Amino acid sequence: MDQKTRDALLKLFQSKLNEAMRFYLETCTRCGMCTDACHVHASMGQVKYIAAYRHEIVRRIYKKYFKARGKLWPSLGEAKELSEMALEELYEAAYSCTGCRRCMVYCPFGIDTQMLMSIAKLLLIGAKAEPEILTMLADTSIEKGKSFDLFKENFLAGIRHLEAEVVAKWKMEAGKTAIPVDVKGADLLYVALAGAHSIIPAAAIFNAAGENWTLSFFEAVNFGAFVGDPTRTKLILDRIINEANRLKVKEVCICECGTAFRVMKQLSGKQSFKVSSITDVHARYLKEGRIQLDKTRFSGGVTYHDPCQMARNAGVIDAPRYILQHLTDDYREMTPDPRYNWCCGGGGGLVALGEETLDFRMKSSRVKVDQYKATGAKILATACENCHTQLSNLNDHYKTGVSVRFLSSMVADALVQPG
Amino acid sequence: METLYYFILVPMVYLSAAIFIIGSGARLAKIYRAPKHPTTLQIFPEKGPKWLLALVDTFLFPTVRKHKPVFWIFLMLFHIALALLIIGHLELFREFSLLQIIPHNVFLGGGYVGLVLSVCLLFFLFRRFLSPVRELSVPEDYYLLILLFLTVVFGSQMDWARTWYGYGTVAAEDYRTYLLSLLYLEPELPESLMYSGHSFMMLLHVFFANLFLMFFPFSQSMHSFLSLPMNKLRRG
Repeated sequence: MDQKTRDALLKLFQSKLNEAMRFYLETCTRCGMCTDACHVHASMGQVKYIAAYRHEIVRRIYKKYFKARGKLWPSLGEAKELSEMALEELYEAAYSCTGCRRCMVYCPFGIDTQMLMSIAKLLLIGAKAEPEILTMLADTSIEKGKSFDLFKENFLAGIRHLEAEVVAKWKMEAGKTAIPVDVKGADLLYVALAGAHSIIPAAAIFNAAGENWTLSFFEAVNFGAFVGDPTRTKLILDRIINEANRLKVKEVCICECGTAFRVMKQLSGKQSFKVSSITDVHARYLKEGRIQLDKTRFSGGVTYHDPCQMARNAGVIDAPRYILQHLTDDYREMTPDPRYNWCCGGGGGLVALGEETLDFRMKSSRVKVDQYKATGAKILATACENCHTQLSNLNDHYKTGVSVRFLSSMVADALVQPG
Repeated sequence: METLYYFILVPMVYLSAAIFIIGSGARLAKIYRAPKHPTTLQIFPEKGPKWLLALVDTFLFPTVRKHKPVFWIFLMLFHIALALLIIGHLELFREFSLLQIIPHNVFLGGGYVGLVLSVCLLFFLFRRFLSPVRELSVPEDYYLLILLFLTVVFGSQMDWARTWYGYGTVAAEDYRTYLLSLLYLEPELPESLMYSGHSFMMLLHVFFANLFLMFFPFSQSMHSFLSLPMNKLRRG
């Protein structure tokens, strides 16, 4: 690696050194408490997957370039030069970590591995060594935001095609639009994923609840966050914020995508609208009596996988359980509890990388399979697109014979239409 | 030999104290001058008052107790013993009537505190030779533990000699004279300190303590200051 590239990368490293990051870089005692925390280590048993080991790959570069002792006595902390080989190590550490933050629960200091891996991801972007597909997907999202008029007609035509399916789930008064789009003054802006499965059930439930809602032109998923690029993350986020402000909505409801929800909830800053997850909104409809569900619709026991970015990292824990109480009398909680819930193994962009990561994802998530199999439930519900894909892959790979369902689609299927 | 004694007991003490105070202060200033993280780093669910929970996390290590109970016992013993020894050293400067609620001579614990601390340090050190902590450890982890162990064992030896074996040629008052003279910048080395039977042990104790203090600001020992704010971040 030439000096110019190294300097540029170190500048990127420096840009990440805020107060919290310095806490995390300065404090680890390598006590090994995090050993049992990572699902990858628990499933595969290799030391390189222990959170503290991942930290050290970043920390050694920090010691080398940002601490005097890295220059005076580098061997003391095994300070390491930023080189091509170091980039390979950073890649392995960052893209085998799903950012679930389970290790943060174990660490006596609360060191956030996802934060430290964000340095690794940014350095990889700087060195153009990140997974190219994630950057391309992020750029596509940004481009769509910049020149939406080019996409608008196709989008609207696609939405019109879905309306019949929405009406099939929930009959509406004649003349009412099943999927309203671009409604100024709507109470709620729903930000879905690019896919009918994310729009049809949600639309049926909004209509059942009599919600004054509108569908966003943009998809919720934030590939900028997956690839660890703060600039792209913000640009993708801004498309939705601008749309919400333009339509003057009171609430932005994010579909079943953990990362999209966490990014929107925690990064959007102070706005005139509130941010909710679709799971929170559905629980609210049930509490307010705006929708009723048929409890006999699902049999064979239901268990629920808490998406890490929704539950442990954003606090959506009670709402899905409240919904499940109304969906079944046979809800089976996984152990350990949501705080210690095992990650599905698909976060951090791993699912988005598709076949490339499939083998690793299957091997690294054995503990997740053991966890949901232990409940004996026939239905495995979740509220995150990534988790759903990963759990479906696990189900196929390990032949566990469960039905992996989106919580929202279960709610839509169980809606009780009045007489 | 006298020169060596003088160097370790006077200028080196000043130097290590200066490095400890200025170094720790500078490191903390650097950390706290950095911008705050723009979003919450909290872990959910929320279970109670955040500051209280952060204090519990910092001083009682509940996650360690839950997942590694044996390690937790040694961690708790280590930190309690360390706190008692710090109090003991403060009592070498002057007596605190508040602490005499439990009547005692310097040090509290009659030598057992140092023994507990030494055993804990050996446990931490040997733990580092076992996988997977071995693979996670870097040289500074061993050096720090060895340095602390040497500091504690030579320091404790002074107390053990005095309290257990009646080897009382150096009284607590002599240490007080020495330490206060350092504090008032009028260094004085009482003869009993320089020429008693175990003065060489004291010299080694002070030497290793000096090294530890000089190393402190640049090591993970800074967790002493950072653990609480970090746990507060986790608790939101």
